[in-house]
Amino acid sequence: MNIYRYALRRLLQAVPVVLGIVTITFLLSNAIPGDPVQIMLGPSPSQAEVEAIRARYGLDQPLYVRYVNYLAGLLQGDLGRSIYYGVPVLQKIQERLPATLLLIVSSFGFAIATAVPLGVVSAKRRNDPTDHVARVVSLVGVSTPSFWIGLMMILVFVYHLGWFPATNLVMPWAPPSALPAAETRVDVLLASAHHLFLPTVSLGTLQMAAITRIERSAMLETLSEEYVRLARAYGVSERTILRKHAFRNAQLPVITILGLQITTAIGGAVLTETVFQINGMGTLIVDSIARLDYPTIMGTTVVYGLVFVLGVVVTDISYAYVDPRVTYGEAE
Amino acid sequence: MTAPLLEVENLRTRFHTPDGVVRAVDGISFTVREGEIVGLVGESGAGKSVAGASLLRLVEDPGRIVGGEVTFKGETLVGFPDGRAEAGDGSGDDADDRWRDDVLSAEAIRRRIRGREIAIIFQDPMESLNPVFTVGGQLREFIELNRGLTQGRARELAVDMLREVGIPEAEDRYDDYPHEFSGGMRQRVLIAMALACEPSLVIADEPTTALDVTVEGQILELVADLQAKYDTSFLWITHDMGVVAEICDRVNVMYLGEIVEQADVDDLFYDTSHPYTEALLDSIPRPDRPVDELDPIAGIMPEAIEPPDGCRFHTRCPDARAVCTEINPDCRPLDDAGRPHRAACLKHESVFGAGYRESDPIENEAAGGFDVGRTEEGTDD
Amino acid sequence: MTVATRRSETDDVVESTPEEPGRSGRTEGRPEGREIEARVGWRYTLREVGRDPTAMAGLLVVGVMTAMAVFATVDAVVFASLARFEVFARVGVRQYWIAETLWVSPIAEPSPRLLPPVGMENQFGRGTWAHPLGTDDRGRDILARIVYGSRIAIQVGIVSTLLGLVGGVLVGAVAGYYGDLVDDALMRAVETLYAIPFLVLVLAVMAAFGRNLTFAILGVGIASIPTFARLIRSRVLSVREADYVEAARAAGVRDRNIIRRHVVPNSFAPVLVQATLQVGYSIIVVAGLSFLGFGAQPPTPSWGQMLSVSKDYMIQNVWFSIWPGLAILVTVVGFNVFGDGLRDALDPRLQNE
Repeated sequence: MNIYRYALRRLLQAVPVVLGIVTITFLLSNAIPGDPVQIMLGPSPSQAEVEAIRARYGLDQPLYVRYVNYLAGLLQGDLGRSIYYGVPVLQKIQERLPATLLLIVSSFGFAIATAVPLGVVSAKRRNDPTDHVARVVSLVGVSTPSFWIGLMMILVFVYHLGWFPATNLVMPWAPPSALPAAETRVDVLLASAHHLFLPTVSLGTLQMAAITRIERSAMLETLSEEYVRLARAYGVSERTILRKHAFRNAQLPVITILGLQITTAIGGAVLTETVFQINGMGTLIVDSIARLDYPTIMGTTVVYGLVFVLGVVVTDISYAYVDPRVTYGEAE
Repeated sequence: MTAPLLEVENLRTRFHTPDGVVRAVDGISFTVREGEIVGLVGESGAGKSVAGASLLRLVEDPGRIVGGEVTFKGETLVGFPDGRAEAGDGSGDDADDRWRDDVLSAEAIRRRIRGREIAIIFQDPMESLNPVFTVGGQLREFIELNRGLTQGRARELAVDMLREVGIPEAEDRYDDYPHEFSGGMRQRVLIAMALACEPSLVIADEPTTALDVTVEGQILELVADLQAKYDTSFLWITHDMGVVAEICDRVNVMYLGEIVEQADVDDLFYDTSHPYTEALLDSIPRPDRPVDELDPIAGIMPEAIEPPDGCRFHTRCPDARAVCTEINPDCRPLDDAGRPHRAACLKHESVFGAGYRESDPIENEAAGGFDVGRTEEGTDD
Repeated sequence: MTVATRRSETDDVVESTPEEPGRSGRTEGRPEGREIEARVGWRYTLREVGRDPTAMAGLLVVGVMTAMAVFATVDAVVFASLARFEVFARVGVRQYWIAETLWVSPIAEPSPRLLPPVGMENQFGRGTWAHPLGTDDRGRDILARIVYGSRIAIQVGIVSTLLGLVGGVLVGAVAGYYGDLVDDALMRAVETLYAIPFLVLVLAVMAAFGRNLTFAILGVGIASIPTFARLIRSRVLSVREADYVEAARAAGVRDRNIIRRHVVPNSFAPVLVQATLQVGYSIIVVAGLSFLGFGAQPPTPSWGQMLSVSKDYMIQNVWFSIWPGLAILVTVVGFNVFGDGLRDALDPRLQNE
């Protein structure tokens, strides 16, 4: 079975999970105690108004009918209408998702780019000062709330040093005309990177720390494997052993952790967006909860779930790509 | 007689563990000549594998070679400056400043000796191949590295070698991954690996232990054939006297880091001169003895952290006497007839003259438990 | 969702505890000739942890924080309950009785706002020993609020972890032991739970049931079920095949008893490690929830909520936003270091680190 069919099969396997997410969020949203209609219409609406709204949002129908309707809508890409914004939820998500994805992807980029070398060096120079520094950094990294890192960075780099802007994220694909100081695409990209730096580090630190820990222990483990001893016994240089013989095996647990970190990163992004006032999915869901805008809550949760599931499928495929022992055929 | 291919003199390797210093290899000497298969035999824990690894300076932390000399084809692989046998600390075996000036540097050992001159086959074929690379690719890499061939030539040779060690459809299997091979097949691959580099010496570290008996037989046959063809010398590390009888020319028997008997294979079996060797032989089934005489070796091997005083085997030796608790015999030639038969046992009174005959038998694990009356008698005297 | 064949079952932290204890070859090159004395069992583990100074430092932090939390809980909860009785009310017992009697109330607002720590000065005045860490935006003592905030952190951390642990152990043990359909169904459910981002899931729970600490604990607990379930399941899968379990089954021991007697004890060590680390993680998550306004509600002090308020006063009084963050950091480091130490002690292969 080739890797494309494997990918397809993994995607199909994800369908029940997505269905489960939809069901859970639907049930939770419908358990929300407040009456959204009252929020929309203010304190003393007329009976006719209330019923009109209820009918419009399908609230007058029994739960299972609404569930089926919601599923049917989902299949057509219809996530319902936001009660607060009065626009389709999908439209709102389309506005907000890019910023969140940008943040998550760049934080993973930052985490991988720093953690992999750090973990490898740490394993190679086990118990050296480099190793100790790396271990302390990763320990503090996994123990610090990302939003506090964000706050502290704003304090130092924005207020005291003035090196970075604190708010108003610029998207790298924004037209140069949208920015006062930008003339070319390069300007926009630079401005975007400038804005993105602090949120990325703030969100990525936890990932970085977690990956460093895994990278280190995975490298230590593979470096003590029999096949590494064999390579050594056949005169392979330590450099080649580190880069080839041990490295590839050691990435397997790292890939696994990357998959699991997606969910942490999504949660962390909610906080990071709040700290840096980024208009992303996180701020959308927090605001919607405050406003009992349950179609938006459902929509964002479902999209989060989709992002996670896709992320896991991608990591699974990378895993299968690195490890020939993963059978593309039968599961488990 | 020409100089031996490999000469090991008084080699000592230690492990510094939190619980104490383990003297895994404690002053062993032996030689391997060209075209010979030399056995290194002992129970697990005797220090055989560490001895094998020490020859290539492959001992890993916290282990260190602390003394002795290893010469291979006139080059010194291990050697210590006079009076500085314990020199240096903390750094591993690769720290070149530990060694005498004429000793090959770590880099030279890696480039010129490992794989190229001395290849090694490890015990567990399931763990020795890297699971994420193809079998052929791994074979090719080592051939390229050690024979200086181009990628294409190395590939051809790799396929040839796979065929030679009896892998069917070698050309197709070249691109398979290790998990697609059985244990026996993987061990064949490892043998191919060792021989493809055309070394003068192969250290085979219990290469058949992890395999079942029929496969073991096939592998031994294969090695015998290939050895005849390539005239490669082998240092065959095993705990199995049966394998020794089948394949070895000469044998060294190890106990607790020391060599206790050294002999041609026939002499070892028919003129056994050390009680430990005898015990080893008694503990395996032999066609010339009834099975009910099968005797496990009494007691368990003491820890190498604190080896017993005197002869290290005296705690388990059926022939032990009081003198054995005081004197640790070295491995001496047993007669002048030119037979290379050595043993380290005081009961050879004519060789050691330590007063074994007058000494009293002692109570130990070999005696205790079987015949209480006898041991009591023994201690009373 | 089932995950590719070799995907590790555990979360990052226990990654280096694979299931194959006696892989041959692994000990090659290590000293031969020594018996490996029993490197398992509680006594051994405790001794190993006791030898590890870092782990002991972690334990110390955990201990101090827990003591603080117990003190704060007694003070807040016990005295609030006592106050309901007339006898005590007459004496003048109220919530935060000890604090208010001996020291300073964590919720009263008697002092100038945004004072810096002792010995420092800002636009609002000089720090004094009356408020060693300074005061917040409403003139409340930051030290007192930090001490009382530990109650929420530790309570939430431990209770939610216990919740996740019990749930996860149940699900994981049953799934792993019965296998097949049961396994499939349960693990699918767990994966679904896992697929909803931790924080978002908790937010959804809070949205549905109200902004209440109990729901925060419940949410974090539920969200940590998958981690434990996966861990336990992988242990069970390896124990299930063990000879002594097969023997027990052949001897007619009931499934429930096999799980209880063999599977659970065998899985205890990694679960304990995971639980220790999970407490730290839960503390961070709940701090995040409080930061978003979904945790303990004011005026009850909690670290996350202090940070949330402090972000508007960062320029005026930096320390206001430093102390609660440091409190979280130190506490979580304590749990993580102790958990790491436990894990090292339980996994002899990682020794001499």
